[in-house]
This record gives sequence, structure tokens and C-alpha cells, in this order.
Amino acid sequence: MAAHDTIATTASQPVEPLMSVEDLAVSFDNGSGPRIQAVAGVSMSVYPRQTLAVVGESGCGKSVTAMSSMQLIPRPPGRFDSGRIMFEGRNLLELPEREMLKVRGGKIAMIFQEPMTSLNPVYTIGDQIMEAVLLHQAVSPDEAARIAIKAMADVGIRDPEGRMRAYPHQFSGGMRQRVMIAMALACRPSLLLADEPTTALDVTIQKQILELLRGLQQSTGMGMMLITHNLGVVAENADVVCCMYAGRVVEYAPVTELFDRPLHPYTRGLFRCIPGLSELRNRLVTVEEVVTDPREYQGLRSEAGPVVPWWPFMDQSQRPSLDDPSRPYALVEVSPNRWVGCWRTPEVARHPSRPPRIAPA
Amino acid sequence: MATYLLRRLLLMIPTVLGITLMVFLLVALAPGGIGAGLAVQGGQMSDTSKVAQMQAYLEDRYGLNDNVFVQYARWLGRVSPLKFGTTPLVAPTGDLVREPRDLPEPVMTWAFPAPAAFVVQYTVPSGDALIEDFKRLQREAEGTRRTYVGSVRGMKDALADHVRALGAPWTARLEPKGGADPERFRDLSLDGDAPTLVKLRSAAAAMHASWTEAEASRQRATIAFLARPYPAAGFEIIPNAFSLGAPDFGVAFSRNRPVWDLIATALPVTILINFIAFPIIYLVAVPTGVLASVRRGGAFDVISGLMFLLLYSVPVVLTGVFAIGFLANNQYLGWFPVSGLHDSAAATMTFMPYTDVAGTWHRGWLLDMVWHLALPVLCLVYAGFAVLSKQTRAAMLENFSSDYVRTARAKGVPSRDVIISHVLRNSLLPLITMFVGIFPAMLGGSVVVERIFTIPGMGSLVIEAINLRDRELILANTFMISSVSLLALLLADILYALCDPRVAYD
Amino acid sequence: MRGIGAQEAKGFWADAWDRVRRRPGAMLGMAWIAVMGFFAVFAPLIANAHPIRLERLGAEGQVLSVEWPLLAYLSPTDWLLMIATAFGVPWVFFGAGRLGRSGRIGVLIGLTMQAGATIVLAALLIWAAEGSGIESLERLTRLESGPWPLVLASAIIAAVVAIAVPIAAPLARRIGPILGAAALGFVLSWLAGGQSLVNHEQVILDEAAGKVRATWTLIPWSSQYTRSDMVGIPPGTRVADWEKTASFKGTPFGERRVLLGTDAIGGDVLGQMLWACRLSISIGLVSTGISVVLGVTIGALMGFFGGWVDLLLYRVVEIFMSVPTLFVLIVAAGVLPRNTYVMMAIIGFFSWTGAARFTRAEFLKLRKMDFVQAAQAAGLPVRAVLFRHMLPNGITPVLVDASFAIAAAITIEATLSFLGLGPDGQASWGKLLSSATAATGTFVWWLAVFPGLAIFLSVLSYNMLGEAMRDAIDPKLRKAAH
Ligand SMILES: Nc1ncnc2c1ncn2[C@@H]1O[C@H](COP(=O)(O)OP(=O)(O)OP(=O)(O)O)[C@@H](O)[C@H]1O
Ligand SMILES: [Mg+2]
Repeated sequence: MAAHDTIATTASQPVEPLMSVEDLAVSFDNGSGPRIQAVAGVSMSVYPRQTLAVVGESGCGKSVTAMSSMQLIPRPPGRFDSGRIMFEGRNLLELPEREMLKVRGGKIAMIFQEPMTSLNPVYTIGDQIMEAVLLHQAVSPDEAARIAIKAMADVGIRDPEGRMRAYPHQFSGGMRQRVMIAMALACRPSLLLADEPTTALDVTIQKQILELLRGLQQSTGMGMMLITHNLGVVAENADVVCCMYAGRVVEYAPVTELFDRPLHPYTRGLFRCIPGLSELRNRLVTVEEVVTDPREYQGLRSEAGPVVPWWPFMDQSQRPSLDDPSRPYALVEVSPNRWVGCWRTPEVARHPSRPPRIAPA
Repeated sequence: MATYLLRRLLLMIPTVLGITLMVFLLVALAPGGIGAGLAVQGGQMSDTSKVAQMQAYLEDRYGLNDNVFVQYARWLGRVSPLKFGTTPLVAPTGDLVREPRDLPEPVMTWAFPAPAAFVVQYTVPSGDALIEDFKRLQREAEGTRRTYVGSVRGMKDALADHVRALGAPWTARLEPKGGADPERFRDLSLDGDAPTLVKLRSAAAAMHASWTEAEASRQRATIAFLARPYPAAGFEIIPNAFSLGAPDFGVAFSRNRPVWDLIATALPVTILINFIAFPIIYLVAVPTGVLASVRRGGAFDVISGLMFLLLYSVPVVLTGVFAIGFLANNQYLGWFPVSGLHDSAAATMTFMPYTDVAGTWHRGWLLDMVWHLALPVLCLVYAGFAVLSKQTRAAMLENFSSDYVRTARAKGVPSRDVIISHVLRNSLLPLITMFVGIFPAMLGGSVVVERIFTIPGMGSLVIEAINLRDRELILANTFMISSVSLLALLLADILYALCDPRVAYD
Repeated sequence: MRGIGAQEAKGFWADAWDRVRRRPGAMLGMAWIAVMGFFAVFAPLIANAHPIRLERLGAEGQVLSVEWPLLAYLSPTDWLLMIATAFGVPWVFFGAGRLGRSGRIGVLIGLTMQAGATIVLAALLIWAAEGSGIESLERLTRLESGPWPLVLASAIIAAVVAIAVPIAAPLARRIGPILGAAALGFVLSWLAGGQSLVNHEQVILDEAAGKVRATWTLIPWSSQYTRSDMVGIPPGTRVADWEKTASFKGTPFGERRVLLGTDAIGGDVLGQMLWACRLSISIGLVSTGISVVLGVTIGALMGFFGGWVDLLLYRVVEIFMSVPTLFVLIVAAGVLPRNTYVMMAIIGFFSWTGAARFTRAEFLKLRKMDFVQAAQAAGLPVRAVLFRHMLPNGITPVLVDASFAIAAAITIEATLSFLGLGPDGQASWGKLLSSATAATGTFVWWLAVFPGLAIFLSVLSYNMLGEAMRDAIDPKLRKAAH
């Protein structure tokens, strides 16, 4: 199969990422008033067999980034302002619809975050999984049904034959999420965009599903973008973490390094919110407290010199002078494999860093 | 499914009862009431006392003097398929024959004691002679009853005359139209020999005489009836106590024909018109709505929306008048027939169009009907376009932004298939629901359309019935229209249940 | 989240109104409704067969006496409407003072309604006292003689009292216009008081003979005035040019033009059309008012109490829903008295289910929401919870749909009048329309086109307005519109 071949070749030369998002900006028409800038210059990349975790608060643009790479952003009101998303040497943002149809579901699959409403209520589960199979694989309906049953069995649905004929409303939320995952995996995509795939599931099922996904990654070389709010899931499953805020990347690093030593105040705040078992704290610290503390912004250095972490709500008086006020932000590689979102001071502007890429070891 | 259907059918019963009761009360309690229609009929006669007698007869025949709820219950008893009481018989003519009713009591029994009750002994002949005998007794009972009812009326008139002769305090107790209710004059002394009193006494004597005669013939007719000259109607379960039978809508007094006959010719016409109109509405409105939603905000969307809103704002009567005036009337274009369902020569037409040997083209029965129905159907359909296409558009748009459509697109389903098999398929459900809103409105609209184009359907029938205050006809019309409407809604419900897997039948 | 797309919030209704105002269709619709409203109020002054001023002349042309037949002809309702419009509308738009515009609209509506209610009440009293049946109710609109200056005065006094009692503060400012209106009403009614009505035929003949000098209204025909010699005159014809009335040549009457033609019984079409605005507008508003009040009340009861109340009432709603409303309306209009009030009542009574369903759904939703439960938990009585907290939230969709309901009521009125079931003795567009294809089988185009256009434009206006409001308020559609 074509998808497997590409994976095989890229896997043997691990320098090229499977997909790389470069300086993506997406905005939405708000009817009246200014456009909503949902994503404002985001870069990230996923390698085969790699899991890129995208974290950040609600509404920061994680889903929009993922959906942009499948051209699933409704346009209008949405619009791609700039940037590109490279996949197999082509820019996904400019791919014509006919080409895109082959990519969607076939090469890149997506699991959406709302399992309750993401399945069509009037078709059976089997029909919906088979629809994907029939679209992307030249197989007979019988064969497609077999593939669908296997996919359902893979995600741990009991009695898959019988469940093929059931309707979504007869399934619980967790079961529906598993159906969504089965549907996404039925065509063996080379990249999986998983938008909070386990939020609706209980802890044991969550673990099972993530293990299943990891197993699939090992056997097929699938890359995965894992969007989640659960830092525990990140720690266990991710290879690389991309932390976003307000449509921008604030920190991008290998998972162990990030957990050991977060550099951006926002990331630090995020980690400090997790009540650690080892430490005994009197009370929880909020992200707010960390990011509003001016001391948190001092002492960060990069090859270009000292840099100041970017934060949109930083006091005007504390902001460094910028190279170009219309472009206040830059993602700076402060040390090998560590990127931090910084104010685009003149030094930063003179030393453009490479786009964030962390190849698997 | 069967229990679901049964439950739905049972739920229809209170609805039909509710609506017929409402209409019954309206007709019965309206000022003038049913009497207005009777007066129209009676007005053809010159002699006022004859008019009064006729009115008394009709009131007795249709039981108009009883409490309205009693009247309604009686009507229900006839319409209900479950029949209690003596089983009616079917005459060879097909008419239902019921047991002769009890006579109304004589009035003013406190002043003029009623004759003693008596029991007539009568032996009926057997075989064919029974039928002949029953027919004779029936006529006789009918005639004597009529005389008796008339004499009761005469009695009341005589009382009213007497009261008027007495003058001041007493006349205040008369009814507004001048009639006298005997019950209100219990304390009136009837001694003396004023001329009006003499008349009153002779009226009482006449009343008692005719009561004796009427009662005797009623009893004889009852005995003959119970001997079963004709077969029983319907299916008898407990003889003369409980039976099943077809609804009996009675006789329309404006036309003196069984109501069912009138409805049986009118209802199919109305249903036909509606069933031609419906597919047209859906065929035009649904694709328009789908296209408008796909090109949302585009020229097609805006123009079709505006067009349909304009059309929606044109009342049916306006279109009807314009269509008749400009398209059908010979003063202008004269393209279509002005009225009716068929040409007068329709009976001799062949079904399909053909060209005869002389080369003349004959349009045939079918085309003739299409030609006649074109304008009425046009009037009926256009208002539905706006409602339905707007609903379609809204449902499509809602589904377009739904999560499962996004899922389908993420699977790589081409956008045409997304629109048809995902968006439209889910939008069908509200469209079926829409039927519930449109169909009753269309039935109402067809009443008007039929009236404008003088098509002999339920609409024409009901307006005639209203103008003549023909209660039986109005009620039967209401009953049938509501039942048709409810059955259509039931159909829509079943369709919905079939289309939406989430609906459980029980 | 904080940064992206945050927008300053505008008041809900102000925002909706802005959206409505941006739609040209809605604005045109409102303009037409305003025109119709103007004619509805001032039709008796614009189109009337009674001269405004009638001077009886002596043999040498000297003025013997002066009469004001038009003033004598006006009914309390006419006066009320005209005074309220002439003073109230400018006051609402240009009036200064502490009250905002919406406050002034509220005061005006409250005042007019109060006065109207008093008139109805007074007429009912007269009816009860005289006991001469439904006809005396009809005097409300055409009270030709009777104690109506009294009625008007009591109406105005009641209005003043009603307005003064609930809010006392800016009283002085409101008393001015009210006293002005009352004074004017008295002067006018005193002017008109006790004069007998004129015989139109006689006036026209006398005018031709030079015995009187009359000042006529703009359109000197009223809706009731018919002449058998003027049947079926085409639009724009001069009376003297019409064969049967050629004898009027040279007289003021002969020089008049029948602008929109005459109908099948010789009545002026334009005059009737102007008068019919009143019927259409009032039936639309009043019957919708009835249906909204009924529907909201019943819907609120269903939604708030749920349980068996809901079950029972919903059966009733279902009955009304599943039955062809127009059919039942035809039956009802057919058997009940042919009267404007009866028609308003039955249209209202048979069309409340929509409002009830909306309100019920909204209340069912709201009942579970926090603020209602909080209000209940705070120990407020049920009534307060219902009307203070839930009603304002639940009523929005009903108000949006009211515009469509008015359009529907106008259509129904036209339809019933067309079928001959409309109010007796009232000019109506539907009635005119029905005479276009009357018995003779000939089609009289001006009887179809002009009234037809009026019906169409009115219905369209309300529909346009309703569309605009629905788009402006329905958040679901608003979302879809993006
Ligand atoms: N179709 C749309 N129209 C308008 N604005 C949109 C649309 N989709 C997304 N946005 C805006 O884009 C921003 C980012 O949304 P996005 O769904 O990517 O957030 P997210 O990071 O996935 O949040 P969550 O964790 O809650 O899923 C939000 O402010 C949202 O309001
Ligand atoms: Mg999201």
C-alpha cells in the first residue's frame, strides 16, 4: 500500500518529518467586529512513530490547527492567513479538494473531541466504519465489513459483529469514542490527529486505548498528534510536547526535558498547578500567579542573547523594545531542541531560528 | 409497532371527540342556532302557524329541544361504531330504521292532566306481510307523531295568546320572540271563560287526543319493529343491547339526503386535490432549500428566499381571483376552465387523449381533469413552497455545521455525498415533522380553493352547510376533515419512526 | 478566553433592533404598516360622504346656518384613535422629559388601551341597560347618537387615573398632553353635540341646486355610501361622464372623480379601501394579542407546572394543532354573529397554540436553569418566579412570531370576508375582492387589483418584519447565517 511505502522510506531516513506545520495563521469572520485570530503563527512537526502532544488552555487553537491540516475549517467564515502544512512534500493548505479527499481518512485520520455528536445518528455503526473503508481501499463490501469488524475488535468493542448493526444512540459515550477511533484506524493512516481522544473514557479504557494506539504506532509507523488537557497522559505517551497559548506556541520541547525544566512562565505555571504527590503544599498555585510575576521572565538566554518570554498580557512597562511592533512574537530555539515563544526583540529578529523539529532518537 | 399504532389510533379518539364537541357547541349555542336554517326553510310557507308546526316537527325530529350535551351524546351514539341500545335495522333501500322514539310528554299537566298511560296489544303478521305491516305502521306512527308535536306547539301558542291577552305583569315572562314556556306559568290561574282561555282548553283537548292516537301507533310500530321486519344493521353482539356498526351521520336536512352520500362524493375530490398538491410542494421546495443552503448567502439563496416570501404573502383568495379573472375568464386569456372538476361532456370522453380519423384532437377524461385542476392546485401549492424550503434550508444549515458531517468529511467523503447522504438524510426528519404543520393548513386552504373554483369537494359542501345551518352536515364534515387530517399526521409519525432509528415504538 | 475576539456586549433588544434596521425589506414593511396605520386612524377624516362644513344658503346666497356633519358622525373610537395619534405619536418621537422613548411608547399604549377599555366598558353598560342585543355593541364603532361625549370624557379620566397611579414622579409632565387631549375632545364633542346627521342624497341635490355650500373631505365617499346609478364605474372616471349620472354635469358632484372605480353595488372603492385599513389592522393586532396572551399563559402553565397539567393541556394543544384551523374558523365565523369583535375573538382563540408551544418549550428549559431555581430557593412566590424571572426570557420567540401571526390574521380576515363570513356593514378588502368575480361572471379588474394589492402588501410587510426579527433574534439562525 502506498501509505506504507512512504512510511517505510521516511522511516529509514529519519531527518524528514511526516508533517510539518509552518507559521500557520487562521482567522474567523465574526460577522460584525474584527476577525477572530484563532491561530496566529504556529509551527510544529510530527515524525513517523512519534507522538506530538499539543497542550494549552481551552480555545487556544489546538483543534483549529489540527483541522486546518485536513482543510476541515469551514471557509468562510474561516480563512488561512499565512503559513503552510507540509505532508509528503505537498502543502496541505493548497491541495485541491480532489486530492484532499484521498488524504482525509486515507493518509491522515482524525478523532474528534465530541464523541456524543460525531457519529451520524441515522446510520448504523457498521455502515459508518465501512463507508471510510470503501472510500479508501479497493475492497468488496464483504471485505470492508470484515475490516470494520476487525477494527472494532481492535479498539476493544465486544461482539463486534452484532454491534455493526447498532445505531450510535445505543452506545455509551466511551463506546462511541472507540467507534470513532476504530473508524479512524480502519484505513491504516500514516498520521493520526487525535483531538482529546480519551476525554470521554474512564481511566482503564483510556489506558487501553492509548496502549492500543502506541502499539499501532510501533507496528505501522504511524505518527500522532495528541491533543489533550491531561498532563499525565502527556507524560506517559508523548515524545514531544507543544504548549500553546492564544493561538501561538509558547514552548516546544521533548517531553522529559519539558517536565524536568519548563522554560516559559506559562508552562511553569501549568506544571505547578498539578498537585504533586511528593511535595506537600499548603495550597494550589494558579497559572495566573506565575505568569503575572515579573521575576518569572528574567534570565532566559539563547544563542542570540537574552530573550524575554512572550506573554500577551505582560505589562506595557516590562515589555522589551521590539524589532517590528506588528510582529511581536517569535519562536526561538533557546538551546538545542528547546523552543520558547519570545518577544521579537531586535536580537531575535537578527538570528532567525529553525522551525521546531525534534526527530525521534 | 402494532401496539404503537394501536395506541396512536386510540389517542386520536379524544382529539376527534374534542373537536366535534367544540363545533357542536358552536353550532348549538350560536345565536339563532340551528333554528336559523329551519326558519329559512319554513319561510317558504306563507301561513305562520304552519311554519310554527313545521318548525316544531323539525325540532322534534332532530331533538333540538334537549340539552346540548344530550344532543351531542345522541350524535356520538350514532357515529360511534360501538352501538348501545336497540339494534337498528336496514331497510331494503339501504336506509337505517331505528326503533320509534318515545313521545315527548304533554305540557301543562298541572292544569290539564295527561291521559292515563296504556299498553296496546298487537299481534304482528309473519313473513312478507310483516314488512308491509311495518311500513304502514311506521308511516302511521310518523304521521300521528307529527300531528301530536304540532298540537303541543299549538298549545303553547294558545298559552302565549292568553298571556298576551292578560297583559302587563304576565307578558314579561314571555320569551323574547313571543313564545311561551308553559313551565313559567305554573301559577297562572286558568279559571274563567275568556275567549283565549276557551281556545287554550280546546287546544289541550286536541293535544290529549292526538297524544292518545300517537302513543297507540307508536306502540304498535314498536312491536312490529321488535319483530324484525328487516335484518339487523351491523354486527349484533348482545341482541338489542350492544352491536357494532358503521357510523351513521344522519340525514342532511338541507338536501334531505343521507350525509354519508354527500361526503362520499365530496371527500375523494378534496383528498385528490391535496394529494396532487403535496408531491408538487415537496418536489419544488426541498431541492430549492437544499440548493439555497449549499450556496448559502449566494444569489440563488437570496432570490429564492425573497421569491418564496413574496409568494407566501399572497393570500389564496387573491391568487384564486386573479387566476380566474386573468387566466380563466374569457374577457382576458381564457386558457383554463373557470369552475368545476370536469367538462360537462366528461362522461362521454375516453380516458386517454387521442386523435380521431378526422384529425381532431380530443383531450380525453384524464387531461380534462388535469386541465380543470391546474389552477386550483396552483393556488394550493405556492404558499407551501416558502414554508418548506425555509425549513429545509434551516435544517440543512444546522446539519452542515454538525459534528457528524465533519466526521464524514474527515473520512474523505466527497462533498456531494456529504450533502446527500449525510446532511439531507438527517434533514429529512424535520421535513417529515413539517408535514404535521402543513397538512391541516392545506386541508383548510383547499376549502377556500374549492369554493373559489366551485369544485364539488368538502369545502363547497361545508360552506353550503354553514349557510343553511345544517348541523348534521357541518358535524359530519368536521368529523371527516379532522379524521383525514389525523390519519395523515399518523402517517407522518410512522414515516418519522421509520426514518429515525432513535424513535422507539413503545 | 481573554484575548481573542472579545467584544463589547450590547443590550439584547438594542442589538436585535439594529439588525432589523439594517434590512431594507423590514424598513419598507414598517413604512407600509405606518401608512396603513395612518389611514386606519384618519380614514373617517379623509374619506367620508359627510361634508366637513355645511352652509345652508338663503335665496340670495346668504348663509342661514352652519353645520358640522362630519364631527357629528365621528364615534368615540374615532376620536380616541385620532387624538392618541395626533398628540401621542409626535410626543413619543419628539417629546422631552425624563421618560425615554420606550417609556413614552409605554405610556401612550397604556393610555390608549385604558381609554379603549373604558369605551368598551361604557358601551357594555349601555348594552346591559338597554338589552337590545349585539347591535348596541356595534355602536362602539358607529355610534350615531348617544351619550358618547360622556363616554369619551370618562375614558380620558380613567386613562389619567390609570397612568397617574402606578408611577407618580414625572406626573406633571404627562398631565399636560392628557389634559390637552381631554380639552380638545370636549371642545370637539361640544361642537358636534346634538346635531342630526345629514342625508347625503339631499345634500348633493341641494348643492347642485345652490341651496347649500359644502366643504367635503379629500375623498368625498364613505365606505357605507352607495348609489345604484353608480355601479361598476371604471377607475378615474368623472361622475358626470358616467352615462347614468350624466345629469349631474356641471354640479360639484358631477365634477368628482371616482379614483379607483366603484364596486358592484355602487360604492367607492378607494373610500372603502381606506376604511378597510382599520378592520385589517385592528383584527391583526387584537386577535394576535388575544392569541399571544392565551398562548403564553397556557404555555407558561404547562411549562412551569409540568406533570398532569402539562399532559392535560397539551392534549388540548394537540387538538387545535391537528385540526385544519381555517376550516374550524370558517364554521365558527359562519354560525356566530358577523361582527368585528366576534371575529377578533375567534381568530385569537383558534391560533394560540403556536405561542403556547414556544412558551412551554422555553419554560421547560428555563425551569431547570440555575437562576430560576435560585429564585425559588430564595423563597419567592410562584407568581414572582413566573412573571419576573421566567416570562421575560420565555416570551422572546413568541414576540418574534407575533409579526407572522398578524400577517396570518390579516389573511384570515380577508379570506373569511371573501367567503362572505366577514363582519357585517364594514368595508373590507376581502369583501371587495370577492365582488371582482361576482355572480354575473364578468371579471371587474379594479376590484381585484387594488384590494388585492393592499392585502398583499400588508401581509408582506408583516412577514418581512417577522423575517427580519427572526433572523435578528434567533441565535441558531444567526449562527447558521455565518
Ligand atoms: N467555526 C468557527 N467560527 C468562529 N470561530 C471559531 C470557529 N472555530 C474555532 N473558532 C475560534 O477559534 C479559537 C480556537 O478554537 P479551538 O477549537 O481551536 O480551541 P481548542 O484549543 O481546541 O479548545 P478546546 O480545548 O476547548 O477544544 C476559539 O476562540 C474559537 O472561538
Ligand atoms: Mg478543541
